[in-house]
Amino acid sequence: MLFASTIRSPFHRGRNAKVGIDALPKGYSAILAEDLPRHSLFPSFKDGIPIFASEQISYRGEALGLILGPDPGSCDELAAAARVECEEEEPEQEWESFSSSQIAYHYSAEYGDLEKMFVASSTELKEVYRNGIFDHHYSEPMGALSFWDKETLSVHCATQWPDDLRRRLSGALSLSEADIVVHPTEMGRTLDGRLWYPTIVAAQAAAASKISGKPVRILYTREEDFLHTTKQARSAVSIRSGSDDQGRLLALDIVILINIGAYNPLAPELVYQAASAITGIYSCPAIRIEAYAIRSNTIPLGAMGSVGATHAFFAIEAHMNNLAQRYSKHPAEIKALNILKKGQSTFGAPGLSADIPLDRIHRELQLVSDYPRKYASYELVKKRDPGCREGIVRGIALTLGYQTGRSFSEQSTMNSYSVEATLDRELKLLIKTQAAIGSEALKTMWRKTAAEILSIQEEHIRFLLPENTHSLPSGPMTLSRGSTVIQHLIEKTCRSIQKKRFRESLPLSAKARTRAPKASSSPEGLYPGAQLLDSASWCGTAVEVEIDALTGRPIPLAVWMVIDAGRIISMQTALASLRASTLSALALCTANDFDPASAGIDDYLADFNLRMRDLPDIHIRFIDPDRNGAAKGIGELPFVTIPAAFYSALTQALGLDPRQLPLKGGEILRLLEGS
Amino acid sequence: MIIDVTVNGVPRHLKSRSGDRLVDMLRKELKLLSLSPDCLQGRCGKCLVFMDGRIVHSCLVPAFKARATTILTFEAIAKNPEVKDIEKAFQITQTQPCPFCRSAKIMAIFDLLSRIPLPGEEDILEALDMVSCPCSDPLGLIQAVKLAAELRNKRKFSREA
Ligand code: FES
Ligand code: FES
Repeated sequence: MLFASTIRSPFHRGRNAKVGIDALPKGYSAILAEDLPRHSLFPSFKDGIPIFASEQISYRGEALGLILGPDPGSCDELAAAARVECEEEEPEQEWESFSSSQIAYHYSAEYGDLEKMFVASSTELKEVYRNGIFDHHYSEPMGALSFWDKETLSVHCATQWPDDLRRRLSGALSLSEADIVVHPTEMGRTLDGRLWYPTIVAAQAAAASKISGKPVRILYTREEDFLHTTKQARSAVSIRSGSDDQGRLLALDIVILINIGAYNPLAPELVYQAASAITGIYSCPAIRIEAYAIRSNTIPLGAMGSVGATHAFFAIEAHMNNLAQRYSKHPAEIKALNILKKGQSTFGAPGLSADIPLDRIHRELQLVSDYPRKYASYELVKKRDPGCREGIVRGIALTLGYQTGRSFSEQSTMNSYSVEATLDRELKLLIKTQAAIGSEALKTMWRKTAAEILSIQEEHIRFLLPENTHSLPSGPMTLSRGSTVIQHLIEKTCRSIQKKRFRESLPLSAKARTRAPKASSSPEGLYPGAQLLDSASWCGTAVEVEIDALTGRPIPLAVWMVIDAGRIISMQTALASLRASTLSALALCTANDFDPASAGIDDYLADFNLRMRDLPDIHIRFIDPDRNGAAKGIGELPFVTIPAAFYSALTQALGLDPRQLPLKGGEILRLLEGS
Repeated sequence: MIIDVTVNGVPRHLKSRSGDRLVDMLRKELKLLSLSPDCLQGRCGKCLVFMDGRIVHSCLVPAFKARATTILTFEAIAKNPEVKDIEKAFQITQTQPCPFCRSAKIMAIFDLLSRIPLPGEEDILEALDMVSCPCSDPLGLIQAVKLAAELRNKRKFSREA
């Protein structure tokens, strides 16, 4: 086997890269862009995303080639010694005011008479809300192993989307899809850090093994992974609202900017989901949205824990809090006035026919968290002790959000999933789906579902390894979006087998698949949000925060969640998954903003995790979890609601609105001292 | 330089470069896959080993400090009945640490229960802080540790804890 180390660009931006390599020791070789076919891995993204950069360098650290050899340490040294030259260009780091060449994707939509509604408004409020860069902190290192087995290319790689990886390799390396086998390797919680980036590393390993004729392994060090691979995108969301004398929204003028760094093939999805989320909670008769994915010369940035929606919920919830301040009202009161309800229309879509349980969630959440009393008493403390001399700096806030089971991408493959199930004569069930890369917890839930429908034992249910299911197309396994669909398909196949079971003899098989909704080929034709709501799980989250008056460190005291996610198949699994996601989401709120320009990662890592003894109490309540009907995903809910609630609680505690997340202890202290 | 050290009961002469950490040496020289160092800061615990009977983050120990010591990694304790108790407790409580930290979490709990057979909440939190991660269910983990203690005590003393 050959090991490979990556030659990286020392420049942020440039053209026509040239890599100079001294004579290599015996057994070592280099692979550069010029050795590969000139196909892009993601041709639909602007000018494409290369396997190795050469004509255009887009960020410092971008891969320009590989050094292959038998000793990984020597490969590292040789790669570091490579000389890189290029026609250096001024990097585009500014993204909040951007040039047209930086726009990777733009979506705009308008509904209602915006100007008329602004004129009719008694209050206008305009704010900008900013979100930082976060690392996914997945456990498994980024890497790939690739080798040829006769005429077949095998690729081992930790990916959330093996089906897409295979398709991309086929296009970029001019191979037939049938000749490629992707073996997804073990993954921890990826938080969407492995949706598409592993495709680049896998393509590099595959190309190297094709050229060298030997197995090739690329394995990033932790530092390499931190510094050079994709992270959560930065965002800046500007909201201008107009509201009547009670605080009812009349007009929303929204600009969403998502900085996707050098590139991100899922830019349209990020933008569209953000645009949908921001209009999916509150009703408003006139809305204008301009949403952009903006490129900048920094590492690729994108999804994390939810595709695009976190930024949007964070901004709209923060804005509703600010609006409440403006009216000297309780934020819960202002929100209750505006919450979207059944029969109402979002963005001009026909009146919503599905039940929108936000109103109920909002009421229950206030009760279980004792929100009105706590909110009022913290306000009182602030009035009585503005300088916090008594040392009590606390806040509580609640937010609403949802997670959808759909994607909008023009790449319809994101929405197509399939499952095939076969029940044999010994009453053993074999389930084939590429989604079998999902976690053990998910598989436990799926087993339970199938066992219940077919009245068979859970131990008799097996999943076929994803590498043996290439004939079944599959969208990505995001936190629980894909899993919701798979859950539904497993139910469908099992019911269909069960129906035939007493008429036909075993073995019996059934297949089920989803297809992208037709309209998704042109997102502009859709009303944002409305299409998503039929598959949504709904959530309200309250967070109570205390600020350590000495260090400024925010300490989450308690989290309450009220969730409507349809039927809950396994309460224990659902609670465990939500508690784990809650921790991850809180860790993000208390982490440093990741600085891709910094050379080290120590600061960023320093206080990433919450210590066990600092963990808040987590209370979770499901609405009608035993009802009949479909089970829906829940894994993203903490990610879409906690940042907004945490931030708003911090705002109450501080008595002023910092308008950005994350906020570190030092910055909070400065704000406290200045207040 | 060469480091003489006993690893999992076998005396070894291991090569190490200046600046190497104990975890680097164990991974590179002995390919011990239970070690999957991540943070290199003593936080994630994915490098936990027993060094002369004391649990340590091997990413924080310079390789040369291991000279003439006895090191035990997860590979050496994996078949221990105590470990089986912990695995059973994980299974019953449906606590499923990811494959990358599973052995580290077991090491931390194994160490705790061998020191304190009936740990209190504080002891448990302290032990779990050695393998801190933002992606496992904290309540589930605490329940798993309590159950593992119960199973262990039942097995050892054949009575309820
Ligand atoms: S690698 Fe040693 S504690 Fe993380
Ligand atoms: S690192 Fe394994 S569960 Fe968190």
